[in-house]
Amino acid sequence: MLVFSRKRDEAIVIGDGIEVRVLRTGRDSVRIGVSAPADVLVHRREVYDAVRAANRSAAATVLPPIAALAERLKLPPTLERVE
Amino acid sequence: MTTAALTSPIDVDTIAGRFVVDPADVITFPHGVPGFESCRRFVLVTGAALGPFTCLHGLDGPSPSFLALDPHCIDPAYEAAPTGAERHRLGAGADDTLLWLAVVRVDGDAMHANLRAPIVVHPRRMLGLQLLGADSPYPTDHPIAG
Repeated sequence: MLVFSRKRDEAIVIGDGIEVRVLRTGRDSVRIGVSAPADVLVHRREVYDAVRAANRSAAATVLPPIAALAERLKLPPTLERVE
Repeated sequence: MTTAALTSPIDVDTIAGRFVVDPADVITFPHGVPGFESCRRFVLVTGAALGPFTCLHGLDGPSPSFLALDPHCIDPAYEAAPTGAERHRLGAGADDTLLWLAVVRVDGDAMHANLRAPIVVHPRRMLGLQLLGADSPYPTDHPIAG
C-alpha cells in the first residue's frame, strides 16, 4: 500500500482523472472529496461489503420446493395476480 | 460450463432446479456482482415452474445462483434509481426501461428480499449491474414470508 501524508486541501491523483482530496480533518475522521470519470463507481467500503455478504448468503442457500416458497410469500394483495 | 462461444441451448443447474436456456438470453455483468466479481455472464430464468420468482444464474466460476423477485411486486411504492455512474455503466439513457430484481434469501422459514441493492438489467443491451444502494432507504433484509 502506498502511504501519503496530506494536509487540508492537498490531493492525490490516481490513474487518469481520479482525484482524492482532503477537505477537512477532525479528531476521529477525515472528510474526503473524490472526483472521478463518469464510469468509475466510488463507494464506501462497508457498503460494498454489506452487499457482498448478502449475495453470498443468498447464493449459498439450499431451497425447499419453489411451490412451498411461493405459498409462504406475502406480496401486496393487488399484485398477487402475477402468479 | 465452458467459456467458448455458446450457440446451442445451455443446461443450467440453478438454485431453483434444472433449466434449459437460449444462449441469446445471456446477460453480461461487466463487473460481476459483489461477492462474485469474476462471474460475468448470467441468465435469467422465468416460467411456470418458478411461479412469481425469477432465477438469476451465473455461468462463470462458481456459478452463483439467486432467487429473485421484482421489487415493485414486493412494494408497489418501491422507488430506486441508478446513480449517474451506474447508469453510465449500463449504457442506459434516462428514458430506458430497466428490469429490476431484488435478490431473495431463504433461511429456514424466513424469506427476505434485498431491496437496498437491487440488480438491474438493461434488456436491450443485455447488460446487468447490481446497484449498491448507498443512499437507499430500503433494507437488505426486507421480510417477504408470512
